[in-house]
Amino acid sequence: MKNVRVWFKKDFECRYISHLDLNRCMLRAVHKSKIPVWHTEGFNPHPFITFALPLSLGFRGERETMDMRLTEDFDFEEIVKRLNTCLPNGIRVFDVTEPVLKPGKIAFALFDIKLTSDSISPANLCSELNVLFSKEEILIDKKTKSGIKEINIKPYLSDYSLSANDEYVHLSIKLPAGSQENVNPTLIINAAEKYLDKEIYSDITRLDILTEEETPFE
Amino acid sequence: MVTKEVEKLLLKVQKPGRYTGGELNQVVKDKEKVDVRFAFCFPDTYEVGMSHLGMKILYSQFNSVEHIWCERVFAPWLDMEELMIKNNIPLYALESGDPISDFDFIGFTLQYELSFTNVLNMLKLGNIPIYSKDRTELKQIVVAGGPCACNGEPIADFIDLFFIGEGEEVDLEVIELFRKCRSENKSKQEFLQLAAQIKGVYVPSLYDVEYNEDGTIKAVTPKNGAPAKIEKRLIMDMDNVYYPDNFVVPMVEIVHDRAVQEIFRGCIRGCRFCQAGFIYRPVREKSIDAIDRQCRALCENTGYDEVSLSSLSSSDYSKAVELLSRLNEWSNDEKVSISLPSLRVDGFTDDIMSKIKTVRKSGLTFAPEAGSQRLRDVINKNVKEDELLNTCHVAFNGGWNKVKLYFMIGLPTETMDDVVAIPKLGMSVVGEYHKCENRPKNKGVTVTVSTSSFVPKPFTPFQWEPQDTKAQLIEKQNKIKETINTRKITYNYHDADTSFLEAVFARGDRRLCKAMAKASEKGFHFDGWSDCFSLEKWMDIFKECGIDPTFYANRRREFDEILPWDHIDYGVSKEFLIKECKKAYANATTEHCRQKCNNCGAAKYKGGVCFEKRQSMV
Ligand code: SF4
Repeated sequence: MKNVRVWFKKDFECRYISHLDLNRCMLRAVHKSKIPVWHTEGFNPHPFITFALPLSLGFRGERETMDMRLTEDFDFEEIVKRLNTCLPNGIRVFDVTEPVLKPGKIAFALFDIKLTSDSISPANLCSELNVLFSKEEILIDKKTKSGIKEINIKPYLSDYSLSANDEYVHLSIKLPAGSQENVNPTLIINAAEKYLDKEIYSDITRLDILTEEETPFE
Repeated sequence: MVTKEVEKLLLKVQKPGRYTGGELNQVVKDKEKVDVRFAFCFPDTYEVGMSHLGMKILYSQFNSVEHIWCERVFAPWLDMEELMIKNNIPLYALESGDPISDFDFIGFTLQYELSFTNVLNMLKLGNIPIYSKDRTELKQIVVAGGPCACNGEPIADFIDLFFIGEGEEVDLEVIELFRKCRSENKSKQEFLQLAAQIKGVYVPSLYDVEYNEDGTIKAVTPKNGAPAKIEKRLIMDMDNVYYPDNFVVPMVEIVHDRAVQEIFRGCIRGCRFCQAGFIYRPVREKSIDAIDRQCRALCENTGYDEVSLSSLSSSDYSKAVELLSRLNEWSNDEKVSISLPSLRVDGFTDDIMSKIKTVRKSGLTFAPEAGSQRLRDVINKNVKEDELLNTCHVAFNGGWNKVKLYFMIGLPTETMDDVVAIPKLGMSVVGEYHKCENRPKNKGVTVTVSTSSFVPKPFTPFQWEPQDTKAQLIEKQNKIKETINTRKITYNYHDADTSFLEAVFARGDRRLCKAMAKASEKGFHFDGWSDCFSLEKWMDIFKECGIDPTFYANRRREFDEILPWDHIDYGVSKEFLIKECKKAYANATTEHCRQKCNNCGAAKYKGGVCFEKRQSMV
């Protein structure tokens, strides 16, 4: 038995499927690929797969990962090739490696966000966001298991850059991610919509997942 | 394909994955290089439509022709529809993202009557004029097929052409005719007149309907050379008819998320309420070899680990056990489970049980349809109470503890005694559980009794019957509730209002088109969903249009009345249906096709079960 880490991108139409759907999609692809993977036992055995860090519906993912367990030696290149023929085009596997770190080591995620609004130009939106982000406190309602809670997102705005071009505002930001603390970038967009009182469209890409030391998760 | 405009909406709606396309095995062609574009529309949500086998078959078949590109279109759910209207985004096809108004054909499959308003609504969302007469050019040809095409009269003013019967051959013939007509610069009218000459094509605009003073039909007269009778099309060679070796595999969860293998068409039984049991006659089976081959290819190409063997009554496949053994030769190794839906009570043998995995321990469902033996004889549902109890006994001893029983209320000749027999049968099943020595330990039994309201359908022996009124149905539901004396039985019943509207549409005539158009104007959609359905609003519309819906639903029709669908021929003769109806009144059953041929008329197709050797010929 050997654990392997499958690296993939999630984009295009596949952006719009939930984590649960992605899981089912992967299960079917692994089944179809006939790669020798370990199956769960029980009434309805299925390939055993786990994901390091779920990606929200609507986000693009540049460096997503899934672990599975091989029951016999199998060529990594062949895994990449086979999975790609069994997956929809929006999910592309680009590498298979031996896992180095445990998913618990994930501490941050890097996001690339494009923002637009029908009612304001990118340049103006950018300057309004700059003003907003420099406030002392930015409060926003967050849905939690125990109901709606008001939180301050200012502390998370420590590592970001904002710029604008003709088409959109470009926000690049690092946020806490993983099992300890996880901050979804939509919170920031919700806050912007609330404070600027505008409908904002966002196109969010998770570029990478990082460890506590800010090195790429491997 | 998701266009820029649609992209903006997707994160604002529930389950956006249903509006994107991009699934494994979807077919994308270069639109410049194809000749005919066909928008295959399912007038319900993605989850419902993607579960439908007929659509999968025709999608793959059309796309197997190089010059045809067939794409899928579903009805957007309420939230998406609202945003699309607000942002001026017309209804589009999933593969290309192009608006359906760009297409040569806009085809609907009509699986249930309550989807009629969605058909009109989808045309509206696609900026296509709903009336056939307002679409004058040879493009945007609106066609429809499926079981409800057997009486398409309530939507006859909107559909250019109906496909009667099975689509595999006739659909392509019509598409070819279209190509020819277009290359010869023919008009839409010329095309329709030529299409009407193809067997299995019904062009409603080529028929004039006159009415008597009492509202019944006086005559249906064909014009411009259209045939007086439209004969259904059907496939006789089931092994060689096109079957997809590949399905589009959805990414979001749908209703039936598995591979589906068709094993035969038609049903030998002839339950008198069941339209499918008559319009798909005769039974035609696929061979074990063909099923085995197709099934395996399908699993390999989709990655599904479950395949369901589909037909109207799967255990009636003549060699069911042999088939299952053959499939098991590879299915276990490939970790594929085989499921047999629509099992009959007497088909649930140990042998079959051991070969199928997915009759999960939770769900055991039976449809005795009627509570008393007398009424089961009336409807020709040959299920005996002791058979049912025996089957439950086997299942309980095998570890099951939940049973669902499905019944209908409002069946012809039904008395209160028959109604009371429904909960009584449920209680007998509960009693049977306690007689089982090996029943699951420390677990109680749950029996769910569900009743729906009988809807008389065209082409059945009950096509002349009145539907019970709402008051009668509610009285019967209450009677059942009162009779149940144990908490082990849960009683569910289907809303009588939807069944009423279904009954109106099912046996309606062309005068209903006016109401349909009004409903569409007012934005009616998703009548089959409780989120949207309102009988009250429909009653307002009927009133506005001067239509009495009870004329269609609750009136007893005479055997010699001209019915709105009499010019359509499904192979089963009217004489046979009358004979069956009279037998029902006499509580007399009819043998199934493998026991004895009762000369329904379908033998004229020269094949299938009509020509099988019968073991016990009398
Ligand atoms: S002709 Fe006879 S065997 Fe054939 S479908 Fe009709 S009743 Fe059945």
